[in-house]
Amino acid sequence: MTERSAKLVFWAGTLVSLVLFLAMTADTHRHFAALTHADRLDERVVAGKRAFELRNCNDCHTILGFGAYYAPDLTRAYARVGEETIRSRLERPAQVLASSWRKMPQQHLSAPEVEAIAAFLRWVSEIDNHDWPPQDSEARWRASTRRLLATAALSPGAALVQQGGCLGCHALGESGGRVGPRLEWIGARRDAPWIAAYLADPQRFTPGTSMPALGDVPAAQREVIAEFLVSLAPIRGREP
Amino acid sequence: MTYRSQRVAYPYFVVALLLFGLQLVLGLWLAFNYWFTLPQAIVDVFPFSTARAMHTNLLVLWLLLGFMGATYYAIPEETQSELAWPRLALAQLVLLAGTGVVALVGFLFGWTQGRPLLEIPRPLDVLVVVGALMFLANVGATVLRARRFTATQGSLLAGLTFLALLYLVGIPFYRNLAVDWYYWWWVVHLWVEGAWELVAAALVAFLIIQLTGIERRVVEKWLYVELGLFLFTGIVGTGHHYYWLGAPRYWLVAGGVFSALEPLPIALMLVDTWRHMRASRRPLRPRLTWVFLFGMAVLHFVGAGAFGFAHTLPQINYYTHGSQVTVSHGHLAFYGAYVLVNLSFFYFAVPRLRRFPTDEYRSALGHWGFWIASVSLLGMSLAFAVAGVLQAYLERVQGQAFMVAQAPMRFWMLAAFLHGLGVLVGGSMIIGHLLTLKPAPAA
Repeated sequence: MTERSAKLVFWAGTLVSLVLFLAMTADTHRHFAALTHADRLDERVVAGKRAFELRNCNDCHTILGFGAYYAPDLTRAYARVGEETIRSRLERPAQVLASSWRKMPQQHLSAPEVEAIAAFLRWVSEIDNHDWPPQDSEARWRASTRRLLATAALSPGAALVQQGGCLGCHALGESGGRVGPRLEWIGARRDAPWIAAYLADPQRFTPGTSMPALGDVPAAQREVIAEFLVSLAPIRGREP
Repeated sequence: MTYRSQRVAYPYFVVALLLFGLQLVLGLWLAFNYWFTLPQAIVDVFPFSTARAMHTNLLVLWLLLGFMGATYYAIPEETQSELAWPRLALAQLVLLAGTGVVALVGFLFGWTQGRPLLEIPRPLDVLVVVGALMFLANVGATVLRARRFTATQGSLLAGLTFLALLYLVGIPFYRNLAVDWYYWWWVVHLWVEGAWELVAAALVAFLIIQLTGIERRVVEKWLYVELGLFLFTGIVGTGHHYYWLGAPRYWLVAGGVFSALEPLPIALMLVDTWRHMRASRRPLRPRLTWVFLFGMAVLHFVGAGAFGFAHTLPQINYYTHGSQVTVSHGHLAFYGAYVLVNLSFFYFAVPRLRRFPTDEYRSALGHWGFWIASVSLLGMSLAFAVAGVLQAYLERVQGQAFMVAQAPMRFWMLAAFLHGLGVLVGGSMIIGHLLTLKPAPAA
């Protein structure tokens, strides 16, 4: 190779890549608004981002997969565990995560900050990022639940969940609210006896939760509901 | 050492080495956090996030100070003239090191910009920019006064200017998180897979020209090819970070193709180093300097090239993105590429700066340090890699909850911690050796 051709490699390689990169950057900016739902990016969301940065959350958690890898990814946290869980973890991490072997520092957030971070996480959870991360893929949850419900029309647990108003707060498959955690997510983390005990007296496990106690419901029915939730996530690991 | 003003490089190296030691201690603390349950009281006062901000910022700070010191050593040789303003170079060191220390103490009290790697608060960013301008002005003025231009110094200067400009992109507050990360990578990726590669390639070329006596024309010809390939693959290769942040789908193709080619320039650098060593007109002495230099070429390829390639394709990255696999790649790549290139340069320059009778020095401690640190670091990266593969399978494929999947990883994080002890021991030996380097006894 001559010196001349070496210089040619340098200039051609650099300029081709640079021009291509800048062109794609310009085009990407044309798509960001739609892909990130910029119309929903209001001042409360921005305040949440500022609070998120002020507390250095991103040096333990990842978000969009970036940051430190010490704590759960927050991209779909809002869709996964719901607004109330997010609030309680932000307000009282030491109590809520008392049984965890990895701790979250107490953040001493004001009520408006908690509000803003929840709004921020809600906005982030709606970013169209090619369905990453896989473990929180809503499409996967919906598909598996749709299959399950189609074959389990007679499942007494499914019927109780649907009639009992659980979906007013919890997501399940295509439907449900975002106050509490997604039901499939609960089934993935907990076993049936734990869920049945929780249903009887939620305050004992998460003091202050708005989850109503099902203490009046017969124990057999609580167990049936618990079995159903666990069946939503057959291969998934559970917390001891 | 031919020019008096080259001496300003020495304090840069000393500060860089001390910060390196502190970085290793904090790294060990982070690994400890991964397998040991710390009580809430400690977590509330000194959380993982603070220690990580310190660990990563120390890394960036000491590597940059090392690069700057190396530049102040190399530029007079390249231009065959004294530095324009040696005292300004010392003032710049005080400013940058002082800013760094203030930032580190600030982190302890929660003063942060809150974006990983760019935690230095915005008021301090101004001081960093002032320091960078002092540096570029000093080096620029030296080159312009001397009116002697070489490809090596061109690459060095272009890399450092590019580096400083990209830092500016990381300063503003971005309202949209996706846009924020888009430009965050302009700093982080285009630094380590662009600007810093220019600097590293230039420093390696400089060392090879100085140590082997091979004609500059030959070395610099291949430098052009390396740089062309680095920038061709590295610039669009930024796309491998744009897969999952809310950018259009074509980044999966562009990022995948270009970053799959990213190992090529690193492989070329390894081959070039090997060929230049074989063609050397002088014996490859001192041996330890060459151990570091060739170790750099090999581990640069393994850590940045091979480990990077392993999870850069979107089909794999979908499962490994943001897991311990990234940590594994990050540690070996930074060590192989930038830690070792700095240390190689220190081993080359320190005997000359301290005017040893010959360039030979007593090297036993340094040899031990190199092998203990390098083998431990390789072991640590492999432990992270096993943890990462477990995480990718349990959390991402099976869908286990984050903390459930972390339980079986705990053992491997302990393994990483134990190897980290080795890195700290080996690193301390290198630091101690370099700071107390002694001439070899006359034969």
